[in-house]
Order: sequence, then structure tokens, then C-alpha cells
Amino acid sequence: MKTHTKKPFNPVALWTSPSIVMLLCLTIVPLLMLLVFSFMDRNIFAGQPWPGWTLDNIIRMVGSDTFWRLLGKSLLTAAEVTLLCIVAAYPAAWAIAKVVKPQNRSIFMMVVILPFFTSQLLLIYAMMNLIQSGGLLLTMLEAIGIQGETWLYTNKATILVLTYEYLPYMILCLYSSLEGIEDNLIYASLILGASKGKTFTNIVFPMSLPGLLSGILLVFVPVAGSFMEPGLVGGANGAMVGSMIDTQYSGSLNMGYGAALSCTLLIVLSVIMGLTRLAAARAEKTIGGDME
Amino acid sequence: MKSKGFNTVMMVCLWIVLAFMYIPIIAIIGMSFNATPYGMFPYVFTTDWYVTLFTTSNLLPACWYSLKFAFCVTLAAVVIGTMTSFGLQAYAPKWANRFNFVLQLPIIIPWLVTGISLLLLFSFLGSGRSEFSMFLGNLIVVLPYVVLLVNGRFLSMDRNPESAARLLGAKPARVFFDITLPAIAPGILAGGIMAMIMCFNNFVVQYYLIPIGVQTLPTLVFTRIRSGYQADLNALSAIIVLVSVVIVIALSKLGFSAGGLFGMSSGSTSKKGE
Repeated sequence: MKTHTKKPFNPVALWTSPSIVMLLCLTIVPLLMLLVFSFMDRNIFAGQPWPGWTLDNIIRMVGSDTFWRLLGKSLLTAAEVTLLCIVAAYPAAWAIAKVVKPQNRSIFMMVVILPFFTSQLLLIYAMMNLIQSGGLLLTMLEAIGIQGETWLYTNKATILVLTYEYLPYMILCLYSSLEGIEDNLIYASLILGASKGKTFTNIVFPMSLPGLLSGILLVFVPVAGSFMEPGLVGGANGAMVGSMIDTQYSGSLNMGYGAALSCTLLIVLSVIMGLTRLAAARAEKTIGGDME
Repeated sequence: MKSKGFNTVMMVCLWIVLAFMYIPIIAIIGMSFNATPYGMFPYVFTTDWYVTLFTTSNLLPACWYSLKFAFCVTLAAVVIGTMTSFGLQAYAPKWANRFNFVLQLPIIIPWLVTGISLLLLFSFLGSGRSEFSMFLGNLIVVLPYVVLLVNGRFLSMDRNPESAARLLGAKPARVFFDITLPAIAPGILAGGIMAMIMCFNNFVVQYYLIPIGVQTLPTLVFTRIRSGYQADLNALSAIIVLVSVVIVIALSKLGFSAGGLFGMSSGSTSKKGE
């Protein structure tokens, strides 16, 4: 038997069994159910114990213009929010990791993650109040002579609010990578004659890739699946794919159809994240290649 | 570092980002003391909204309910999470990695999908929207954070005293309670605080699993935001921000850096880099 060559089973490992059961029952099984119920024709809420099999949900989904349009919109919004987060977070994370005095870094990071500890809904509410017509922002702008129109209840507001919510994650991820780059490495590169741009593309950027990747993962995926932000601030044309999935459950109770939509969303997101990971690994290799 | 001008530009960017993050929060705190019900001006100082919050508002009961609920979930998450982390140390590295992947699924999967898949499961099992379903749903969402934070503590602690105690004849239970537990206690505490905050704030899972007629704070806030300006909500926001500040200070006094709190973002990447 193979087991003889392996380390003997340590009974301490049995302490993980409650969470194995939980992960199995509350994560794996529900995901499988989502897949199975995509092919079910009746509503579980209506009290029919075992619905029959059907392909209607899939056919309806493939033929639904709304779904593909909203899916595209969600992915585009997620890409925009992720990009905005990267653009805002990179200099900020760099400043905390490299410019701020080492003893002050943890204070700055605590300040950055503080909003995370207050609820997302309160952050949304705070931003809504700031940008609403008659809110502080427009009043201030008016005082200095700029007449603006409120963004609230437009798609711009959705992007703004989502960026506001997820920015701390991106700063945190980038910071943890940038902090790990030794100053000496950058000095060495500069002294040996590399330009600042080259130092960035050949050293700083590749070394920040792991943080950037987890940042993208932590921002892109939840934003693509968001439904309450567009519902609250997006206005009449704010719906995203999350809103459509939500409607199948909280509104029309179209469970099988909703399951099919969420499965597709999950698959699309996994593929995108897998491709991002691959691209990053490749970039790391090619950029790192001429360094060695 | 690089040139001085470049550093200045970076610092300016940092302050702009911080301003972006804090102006809405500070504005809400300012408005919670403002008697003018809509907008900002004219600014008239008042504490009436706090009186409303503590007397007639329905936010306070929901807040208490959420605190009690989050506390129960946290208690379960801390016990199960600590057990898991303890057992995980005995795994072969290959299996530990596999376990960690599955453990991170509830973090990675959008809450919307988690919420509806759990609603499917519980409807199928017959418990539907109920406190029981909501409890389990929130538990699975916060459990990974506890395990990751306690794991971090295990990785940095010295395991020799445990072996010494065992050699000297201490029973496993005694070794755990006298040596292991005190060493990982800060991780458990941080995990508990994270679980409590995540659960207290988690709207999506509660939205799908909440029994009819019950309101947690997030679901109530969601309903009320839809109807516009809420003066007592401003007051509650100000209090919650204040409590968050206290928690963040407490966490940093416990020795947790911001990165350490999100074991999954910094921890997993730094391991890959090594």
C-alpha cells in the first residue's frame, strides 16, 4: 500500500471535520444545486418537492438580449471600477510603503482600512448624501461658481460608489506587495543606469504583480456581482446583471432561470480571473526574463 | 527614494485618496449635528437626531438584534475556526493547500451567488428563510476569516514548548489549554472581531435568508436608504464610525497590521512570492 511510505495520519487533523462538513454542505453543495436547478422546470418555493428536468432555462437565457447586455455592462463596469481603483491606489500604496516614515506606515494603513469596518451600506449612504442635488458637493461647487448636475441615479454614481467601497482592498493588496520591494534593489537599478521608467517596468511593477492580482480579484469579482449599489444609486437605467439575478429571487421567484443566470455569471467570472492569472504569470516571466 | 518631486507627487495622491475616502464620512458626522433636515445649509447645531435615535427610531432595535445575532455567529465561528486552524497544522502541505483553496471559496464567490445558492439549499431542505438559515449562511461567510487569522498566529508561534510539555507528560488537553491557546489568543481575538464586523455588516446574505418580519440593521438601512434622507441614520452612522475607530485602534494595539487582518490578500501572495 502507498500509505506506508507516507507520514502516518495525525488524529489532530480530525479537528477540521466540523468545518469540512460546513464547507461541503454550505459551499460546495449549494453551488452544485445551483448547477442542477438550472435544468429544473418548476419553482421550489411553490411547494413542488421534485421539479422535472428541462432545458428551457438555458434556451431562454441564451436567447435573452437583456441578460447578455447586462452581463456585458456588469463586466465593463467591473473593469472600469477596477481600473479606477488601480489608478487611485497605486500612488497611494506607493506613498505609504515607500515615502511615509516606517513608524507611521501602520497608522496610515489603519486609516485606509477604517471605512471597511463601517458597513458598506453606510458608505453608500454617505456618498449618496454628498453627491445628491442640494448635497455638500454641489453646494460647494456652486459657491465657487460651478453649476453642476448631480450624478446620483445615473450609472456614473454606481461606478463612483463601487470605487469608493472597494478602493481600500486595492490599496491594501498593493501596499503589501510594494512594501516587500527592498529599497536597495531600486537604488541598484538606478545606480546601474536604468531609467526611472525602466526601473518601474522591470522591477517595481513585476514585484507588485501578486498584490495587483489579488487586488483585481477582490475588486472585479464582487463588483461584477453587485446588485444593491446599482439598485440604490444607479437610477432607472442602473440595472446590472446582479439586479437581474436578484429579481428572479426577490421578485418573480423564477428560481431555475435565476440559477442558470448565476451559473453563467460564475463561469464567466472564473474564466476571466483564470485568464488574468495566466496573463500575469506570463508578464512576470517575460519582464523578469531580461532581468536575469 | 527616487527624486524628491516624485515623492511629493505620490504623497499628494495619497492625501487626495484619503480625502476622497473621508469627506463623505466627515460630512455625515457633520450632518448628524445639523438641524436642517435636507442638505447642509444653514448649519444649525443640534443633538435632536441622537435623541430621536435613542427614543423613537426603529434603527436601534434592529441594531441590537444585529449585535446579538452577530455575537452568536461570531461565537460559533471562533470555536469552529480555532478547531479548524488547530487541526489544519497536522495536514500534509499538499492537503493544507487544497483545504485552503476550498476555504477561500466563500470569500471569492460573490455574496449574491452565495446568498441565492444558500436560499436554494434551505428552501430545498425546508427551513427556507429563517434565523437558522441566516445563522448558517453568515457563519460560512465569516468562518474563513477566523481560520486565516488564527492560522497566521500558528505560523508565527514557537511550537517547541508544546513538544516539551508533551515530553514532560502533559495530556493533550492540558497542552492545548495551557500552552497553545494562550499563544494563539491574539489571533482568535482578531478573528472574532473580524467575524463580528463582517457579520454585523453583511447585507447580501441576510437579505436572502432573513425571516419575514425580522429586520437586521443592514436590511433595515437598505430599506430606509431607498426612501432618501434619514436624519437618525446620520446619527447612527456617526456612532458606528466612532466605534470603528475604537476597534481599529484596539486591533493595532493587539499588534495586528492592516495587512495581517486580511490574511487572504497579503498572506497568500507573500507565500507565493517566497
